[in-house]
Amino acid sequence: MRQVIRGAVLLLLLLIVIPPPATAQQQPVVKVGTEGTYPPFSFHDPQTAELTGYDIEVIKAIAAKAGWRLEFVETQWDAIFPALDSGRIDLIANQVSLNPERAAKYGLSDPYTYSRGVIVRRTGDTRVKSLADLSGKTTAQSSTSNWAEVARDAGARVEAVEGFAQAAALLQQGRVDAIVNDDIAVLDYLATTGSSAVEIAGDAGRSGSRQVLALRKADASLLSQANQAIAALRADGTLRGISQKYFKADVSVEDGGSADLSQGRGPRSTWDVLRSTAWPMFVGLVKVTIPLTALSFAIGLALALLVALARISSYRALAGVARAFISIIRGTPLLLQLFIVFYGLPQIGLKFPPFTAAVVAFSLNVAGYAAEVVRSAILSVPRGQFEAASTIGLNYSQTLRRIVLPQAARTAVPPLSNTLLSLLKDTSLGSVVLLTELFRESQLAAAESNEFLALYSFAGLYYWLICVALSAGQKRLETRLNRYVIV
Amino acid sequence: MTDIRVEVTDLHKSFGSLDVLRGIDFSVLRGTSTALLGPSGSGKTTLLRSLNVLDTPDRGVVRIDDVSVDFSALPAGKAGRVASQRLRGQSGMVFQSHNLFPHRTVLQNLTEGPVVAQGRPVEEVEAEARVLLDQVGLADRASSYPHQLSGGQQQRVGIARALALKPRVVLFDEPTSALDPELVGEVLAVIKDLASQGWTTVIVTHEIQFASHVADQVLFLDGGVIVESGPPAQVIGDPREERTQRFLSRILDHG
Repeated sequence: MRQVIRGAVLLLLLLIVIPPPATAQQQPVVKVGTEGTYPPFSFHDPQTAELTGYDIEVIKAIAAKAGWRLEFVETQWDAIFPALDSGRIDLIANQVSLNPERAAKYGLSDPYTYSRGVIVRRTGDTRVKSLADLSGKTTAQSSTSNWAEVARDAGARVEAVEGFAQAAALLQQGRVDAIVNDDIAVLDYLATTGSSAVEIAGDAGRSGSRQVLALRKADASLLSQANQAIAALRADGTLRGISQKYFKADVSVEDGGSADLSQGRGPRSTWDVLRSTAWPMFVGLVKVTIPLTALSFAIGLALALLVALARISSYRALAGVARAFISIIRGTPLLLQLFIVFYGLPQIGLKFPPFTAAVVAFSLNVAGYAAEVVRSAILSVPRGQFEAASTIGLNYSQTLRRIVLPQAARTAVPPLSNTLLSLLKDTSLGSVVLLTELFRESQLAAAESNEFLALYSFAGLYYWLICVALSAGQKRLETRLNRYVIV
Repeated sequence: MTDIRVEVTDLHKSFGSLDVLRGIDFSVLRGTSTALLGPSGSGKTTLLRSLNVLDTPDRGVVRIDDVSVDFSALPAGKAGRVASQRLRGQSGMVFQSHNLFPHRTVLQNLTEGPVVAQGRPVEEVEAEARVLLDQVGLADRASSYPHQLSGGQQQRVGIARALALKPRVVLFDEPTSALDPELVGEVLAVIKDLASQGWTTVIVTHEIQFASHVADQVLFLDGGVIVESGPPAQVIGDPREERTQRFLSRILDHG
């Protein structure tokens, strides 16, 4: 227990090592909100850890023209417009699509990216040429994108996937017949992987979208500086250059997005992908997976003790509440509990950031399971120990702390270790509540590189190694706790 | 205050519909040894546990030295617990199955109560504990764990642990019944020593010989009442009540 806490504290200290914001103030400082986790538009280069990407290069070029000094503020998508409203950032460079609602509320720049819907097929599969051909076929789509709607309207059956790379994998494997998607994601995929297994079959017949910078309405002069800079960059070919670099196509003009893959970068080798992903995965492990596990387990155990004591208490109502809690936690899926905390509770005004939400959900889950372990461990301590403790004058909490729990620990350590190992692996569910933990890192890398088998196996290796270390710790702890029973 | 160290008045206790104690009255003089005899189910263990409030009597008064609790008027909740706690603090308890703390050394078993519950300084308590261990013949086992000791040694530690609390009276609940026959002697010897050192003791026992040699007073219980009481020469040597005679002859036949 003490080790667990010490570990958690250490990891928290590690977390605090975040570089302080740079300071220097001559030129006007423009604070740019961007996700930083959205390749190829805004992400950290795996080798250098520098923030980079298509949108980052574009906004840097604009700043150079307009004479701004930039300060990047990495913000989750969900929080990015509130951050603009509250003045924590001055503009958003993150593939903001132009729509009437945004145009009404914000100062939007001229478009710097144009995208349109395209249909993707296995290379040479001539059955798929246009939207009309999709009727009765199966497509793979992100369930939340409006491309899923387009495919459904065309009469296709839609398989829900996470991102384009997964869709492309399904298409290559012949599990689906086509994909309807934004052409930029397709171009990015083709450019990064150099894949020739899939190709763009044609337009999805829907007007494309335009991406703009978003500013506050009030900052009119900043907006006009931005627009002048965009016009200049378009004229001098800078925008086209950046676009070519990322997409092998010019997405800075309307209908410019046919990819020229003649000089594709070619696929990176599996080894290269693994080498460049090993570090981000390790960071995800150390900065999110392990602290999340340690904190949730520590809090969960403390709660479990309270629940177990409530459960064996002679106050009927208290015991009933504890019993109900345990029953609900053990009777519902962990994923559902996580969704209730992250997506459900905000609807009644309880909004936590992802990490906190995950800690809340996981520690409640641990509490539910561990409470029964702790309860039976306490009950396994002979009654005579309670009696002896009270005859020497110890009160309830002294008896628990000094006499009962140390003996109960011996019984409880093996099952609690199981809980801990499960928890470590269950934190991978954090990936669905915007946590960039170990598994999410491997998912992101897989989405980019198509190396599903290698990357997921590699992530598995990390989990397994930590589990091995924890099991060794369990063994040492058991030996320690066993020192006073039967030589 | 008189020389009466323990005084029990009209004590009643029932478990559900079973009346275990049905009006017990007796007193124990300071520095004397009282043996509680009786067949199993007679209520002698419940009586002993009532003195330590491990079982809470339903009514009646228990006074040990200057602390007296009237269980008929025991307040509910915290005040009641505090009163019980104070009375419990007057006595030390030696259990049939010793109930030593297995995760604490012998010395720690002795110091736990005085240091943690009574808040006395560690050095002083440890010094006293070592004297007590010497007294029960275990000076060299201070840092052993209970499981490393024989049954007789464990029970002697149990006795030392009770003494470390400096109780007004030491209560023994069949202290030798769980022991192998060859280990009984060493434990009885320690208890006999205590009597000669002026400790006030109350012992539930089946060791008739021991009771008749060591006890100053014998109480014979049956059916939740004291059937016969007096010096051992009278109660054991020349019992007047038929129930006492029957019990003694049965025990002595087997013994």
